[in-house]
Amino acid sequence: MKRYVLVLLIALLALSTTAVWAGAAAEKAPEGPVKIVYWRSLTGVAGEVQEELVARFNASQDKVIVESQFQGAYAEILQKLLAALAAGNLPDVVLLDSPFVALFAKDGALVSLDQFVKKDKTGFDLDDYIPGLIQDGYYDGSLYAMPVMRSTPLLYVNGDMLVEAGLPRRAPKTWDEFREFSKKVSKYNAAGEPIQLGAGFTMGQTSAHWYFQGAVYSFGGQVSDEQFNIHLTEEPAIKLATLWQDMVFKDKTAMPSNSHDDLLNRKVAMVFGSTGSMGNLLSRADFDVIPAFMPGQVQNLVPVGGSVLAMTSTDKFRQDAAWEFMKYMTSAEANSAIVIKTGYMPVSKSSMAYPETVAYFQANPVRKVAVDQLQFTRPQASVISLGKGTEILRQMIEKLLIANRDPKRVMEETSADLLKEYNDSFK
Amino acid sequence: MDFTCRQQPKGVCAVRGDSQKVFREGKFRRQTMSRRARKDALAFIGFTAPNFILLGVFVFWPIVYSLFLSFFKWNMIAPKKTFIGMDNYVSLFNDPVFWQITRNTLALAVFTVLFKLGIALSLSIQLNRNPRGGSLYRAIIFSPTFTTSVAVAMVWTWIFEPTYGLFRFLFRAVGMTSPDWIHNIHWALPAVIIVLVWSGIGYDMVLFLAGLKNIPQDIYDAALVDGVTPWQNFIHITFPLLSPTTFFLTVTSFIGALKAFDIISIMTDGGPLNSSNVYVLYLYQNAFQWFKTGYASALALILFLLIMVVTLVQNRLSRRWVHY
Repeated sequence: MKRYVLVLLIALLALSTTAVWAGAAAEKAPEGPVKIVYWRSLTGVAGEVQEELVARFNASQDKVIVESQFQGAYAEILQKLLAALAAGNLPDVVLLDSPFVALFAKDGALVSLDQFVKKDKTGFDLDDYIPGLIQDGYYDGSLYAMPVMRSTPLLYVNGDMLVEAGLPRRAPKTWDEFREFSKKVSKYNAAGEPIQLGAGFTMGQTSAHWYFQGAVYSFGGQVSDEQFNIHLTEEPAIKLATLWQDMVFKDKTAMPSNSHDDLLNRKVAMVFGSTGSMGNLLSRADFDVIPAFMPGQVQNLVPVGGSVLAMTSTDKFRQDAAWEFMKYMTSAEANSAIVIKTGYMPVSKSSMAYPETVAYFQANPVRKVAVDQLQFTRPQASVISLGKGTEILRQMIEKLLIANRDPKRVMEETSADLLKEYNDSFK
Repeated sequence: MDFTCRQQPKGVCAVRGDSQKVFREGKFRRQTMSRRARKDALAFIGFTAPNFILLGVFVFWPIVYSLFLSFFKWNMIAPKKTFIGMDNYVSLFNDPVFWQITRNTLALAVFTVLFKLGIALSLSIQLNRNPRGGSLYRAIIFSPTFTTSVAVAMVWTWIFEPTYGLFRFLFRAVGMTSPDWIHNIHWALPAVIIVLVWSGIGYDMVLFLAGLKNIPQDIYDAALVDGVTPWQNFIHITFPLLSPTTFFLTVTSFIGALKAFDIISIMTDGGPLNSSNVYVLYLYQNAFQWFKTGYASALALILFLLIMVVTLVQNRLSRRWVHY
């Protein structure tokens, strides 16, 4: 009898003490280096470069030791962050998909960076960051996130296919030209089935909305503004929606697509893609891939995507350590390494002027499109940060390009859904 | 008992055989447990406790907690949960997508179970005749069971591809063009059903084979003497004697189909326009992609009730056709 009780007690003690130790460790002032945890995302070169930078940071000083933990794709990081919040056991620095800064900052899950910027005496300068890239790190006037692996939507074009169709070896400059090129490139067999088409429109919840936003910008409109007014029923958005729909159902020169695979398999001549995919696409294609701006119509303007670094640390000493790490990850040296390895955009003026970055773009002029597009960036539509925002836009694109429903009606429904979601979940 | 005992003369009550309580000197005394019995009881607790704690922490507590959450509005980030009573349930029943995915889920479950069990049964009957190379066929048909669902979903996505996928050859052979399965409102759900059927046949077939091997040969021999046709053989002997297996597979497959998630999430992510969205995927999207924890909890509770009702109905119906 006693033995059982003893065993149970020991088991209980063992359980509770681990929690106590973990708690105690967080409270007391550190002796020696502060250990912090960094949650990273992304695989392939984009993942390797983060590991490399963490190792470099650890080797460069002896005050902070960063442990980098891979937590899966952007969406998985979000889920794990929710679980960590519930458990009260948070990482110190986390890589976030940029639209989610507002969502987490709103409910106090992120640490404001203002105090660290103010007390930093190392010559740190916020103005060094590209304005379009630091802008979405703010929520309600406070800085919550720093730009790290930023991307813009691009148009990737199969140059060989254009030339075969008697077109010049360059990307279309406007959406009208985009439609024209698509007509010339499309081919069908005797049964009328398409052999190759002009364009593939990206579907799905992850990024379909991003390319749509960019296209609406280029028509001079926007999906929603900072006050959550929704502008989908205005002329630019309707015009664009009608154009895409007509290309799929009237011209039959475009299709809903898995985008990258369809480009690589020569099913379509043009797809949208992130600057972050440039390295991947250029190396995998066995034809001439031209990375280009998204077509403009009345202007060149794209919503910036990709990831930012945010602080979730709950302990004062670890917060200081986290700040040092965040500064390093977004520094010219680190950012230059990211740019060269992955094709993501430089996030600061000093990174752009960094000797290695300059040399790299001289040697690889085709990749320079990422830098050229920097001046045409602005944050994504505010509705993207609503929990269901991307899903509602996904439904909108499916209604347009799969169900072939009237664009005006679709836009009205989508606006109503977005407004309802805003009132439900954000206000 | 107590009352009646007091009316009885001393000793009579004890004779009536209450093993725990003995009537002594005009009153009851609880007999203390013997050392051995106590030891046994403690051993029982000791052995079951780990399991019970695990189940409690990871099964029972979450069920209770999600019932609790279903009355709140909470995004899992905010420190505060807002009590909204039955609102989640009200908006759930007013949500057209909820009814759409419920229909999808039931259609998916019914068709998956019918086709999967039908095909598995006919395959196992063929294989039970020990054809040449039977074990090879068995291994091949069983192989999807231990293939990762992610790989299954990726390969089938390619097979359904209308311009370079494998399936278009079937359509071409009959002079038709293949639909764009994954991007078509009418074909996305059938595509998912085909994959679920394909990946589930192997397991069912093996269980059916085991069931078939358990049917005594002398029944068939007797039937042979009576001169029955193969069809009568199946209807009057094989099917009834196989019914426990069929019942087990129907129940587990149906519940499994109600909980279908991984393959759908990868192949279509519920799209287009929720035409292939199903219950658990919608629940997951609500909870972890759209941060609607309360709403998702309400969905979970409804699914719990749905599965319970379906299982009860199947159990009740089974009395009519299952012969143990």
